[in-house]
Amino acid sequence: MKRILALVLAVLMIAGCCAALSSCSKTTKTIKIGLSGPLTGGAAVYGQAVKNAAQMAVDEINAAGGLNGIPLELKALDDVHDSSKIATNYAELMDWGMQVSLGCVTSAPCLEFLKYAKDDSVFFLTPSASNDGVPNGENSYQMCFADGNQGKVAADYVNSLYTAGNLGKLGIFYKSDDNYSKGIYDQFVANLNSAIDEKVMSFTDANATDFTTQIGALAECDFIFMPIYYEPAAQFMIQGKDTIRDTAVYYGCDGFDGLEGQLGDDMDEIDQAISMLSHFNSKATEGKAKEFIDKYTAKHGTDTLNQFGAAAYDCIYALHKAMTELIAEGKEIDHKTDAADLCEMLKGKFNGGFTYSGATGSNMKWEGGFVNKGAIAYEIKARAAA
Amino acid sequence: MNFLSVLISGLGAGATYAIIAIGYTMVYGIAKMLNFAHGDIIMVGGYAMFVTLALVGHPVAAVAAAILAAVLVCVLMGVSVERFAYKPLRGASPLAVLITAIGVSYLLQSLAQIIFGSASKMLSGLQIAGHVMLGTLRINYVTLVTLAVTVVLMVALTLFIKYSKTGRAMVAVSEDRDAALLMGINTNAIIAITFAIGSALAAIAAYLMLAKGASLANTLGAMPGIKAFTAAVIGGIGSLPGAVLGGILLGVVESLSYSIPALAPFTDAVEFGILIVILLVKPAGLLGKARREKV
Repeated sequence: MKRILALVLAVLMIAGCCAALSSCSKTTKTIKIGLSGPLTGGAAVYGQAVKNAAQMAVDEINAAGGLNGIPLELKALDDVHDSSKIATNYAELMDWGMQVSLGCVTSAPCLEFLKYAKDDSVFFLTPSASNDGVPNGENSYQMCFADGNQGKVAADYVNSLYTAGNLGKLGIFYKSDDNYSKGIYDQFVANLNSAIDEKVMSFTDANATDFTTQIGALAECDFIFMPIYYEPAAQFMIQGKDTIRDTAVYYGCDGFDGLEGQLGDDMDEIDQAISMLSHFNSKATEGKAKEFIDKYTAKHGTDTLNQFGAAAYDCIYALHKAMTELIAEGKEIDHKTDAADLCEMLKGKFNGGFTYSGATGSNMKWEGGFVNKGAIAYEIKARAAA
Repeated sequence: MNFLSVLISGLGAGATYAIIAIGYTMVYGIAKMLNFAHGDIIMVGGYAMFVTLALVGHPVAAVAAAILAAVLVCVLMGVSVERFAYKPLRGASPLAVLITAIGVSYLLQSLAQIIFGSASKMLSGLQIAGHVMLGTLRINYVTLVTLAVTVVLMVALTLFIKYSKTGRAMVAVSEDRDAALLMGINTNAIIAITFAIGSALAAIAAYLMLAKGASLANTLGAMPGIKAFTAAVIGGIGSLPGAVLGGILLGVVESLSYSIPALAPFTDAVEFGILIVILLVKPAGLLGKARREKV
């Protein structure tokens, strides 16, 4: 009996070795793109969207011949939207041989990622980490609007409403312990016409379920600026549908994208109007945004269709376009190119008037790492007819 | 902002914490363990309601069926968690049980994410809309329902524990498990019943949270669970009225803190700060009995 067992184990061991060897020999030459994002936990919907869309872009590019014949390869690691996981994730990506990166999906982990990537000169183009501190124009670039820019654009819009006498009473509802929300809020308030008197309410808990107190305080407002993500926003709107003025307008930033899917049929029960400032319209009916939506929903459904995914899709294509142009200019980029050398080349490209058009905007340019593109003013829902 | 309306929304939030805290406190009182997976039982109840709502067509019948299904699923889940995860550790060090409970919590959250996905869901079928005006004071129906349910549950539980045979057996087990065993009480059955009651309460809490318009995600019970645990400790863990008092107190403090813009960003700190202060001043909690450790 023991002999048979020993024999079986030996066979298994040999089989294991063979498998390991064959997987080694299978490692083909690829351009390695690393990514860290919340694939599980409270922010998983964003991480999954980025991973799905980036992988989709990689597959499409590889099907069309990759980069000068070399396929791209994406590795996405889970950071649960927790900065403390970044050191390990970064090390794992570097061990794997990451040459270029999408950085992180969310802001706080991305700031941590930047510390390491800057030391090693690893180039990254983040789809969605919108904190103002992320882009530096050296190795770190954004595909999304930086928080501070959104706050300023939103404040300009509100100021123009005020000057025209269409603002009414302004309310603000934001998440005070969140880099994204606080970043927009700070810039918004700094750029707001000082004659405007605003009522500010906030929350902190990522899993907050009860906004009764905040809704009560904002009940009399006509225009409520909400620089938060769509999940708490949907909750606020549902809970406040009877309390907030029927004629009020909810106005959010790119975090509102996905709100429709979240609210579903409940959208009809909300009398208030909803609009947002964004770079991606999840119900676009034309252009590259529409192409992306069709391809994405065919593969992954609508559950995780949002601007995070669209931006990630654009990131992969933008990197591919930049590298293709570099090769055309005579630069040598392949699977052996060192991350720091590639960073130097891409930096020159992105700072030197490189343009890209995709699902989240056309004729994008980069300046100091910040993306420069037109915002889409997008009405999610008109006010219910009285 | 009207102080009274802040107070009332605080009472509403607090009542939900109280119901969850009762579950924590009962299990601690009787099984002498911190069931950190209690918050996730709430989430399980939420998904049970989500599935039932999708299956039953009639809107009113669906709500009734959803609550019933949630209670059944939660009880089943609570009792099986106890049977398969905690019972084998009876007599093991409290630390081992605690770690197991945390493990169960993560297991339930991850399973829910695998089965139902990471996107959160709105269950409008369960929401209680509408309000009543008292002068200028506006009270949502859902707040009234929450408060009424909490009071009824607390009275019913107190009567059950005081006067029913099972209830008194629970008190006996909580006082001295070995002595209760010698007196012929089936302590394992009593502990299972305690988990069943606690889990049924978690299902009710899930309903009240969703009725208020909370969106359903696999983290639904995480923060309320921790807040309710804090409430149970503030009130004196092991004490039923203490859990209710702690829950209400925490809800009101939370609401007050949110209503003051300068303080709002620090609401969680204020809540957990109160816990620290109370533990320093009265280590057994507000209504807890200070017990001398037998050496």
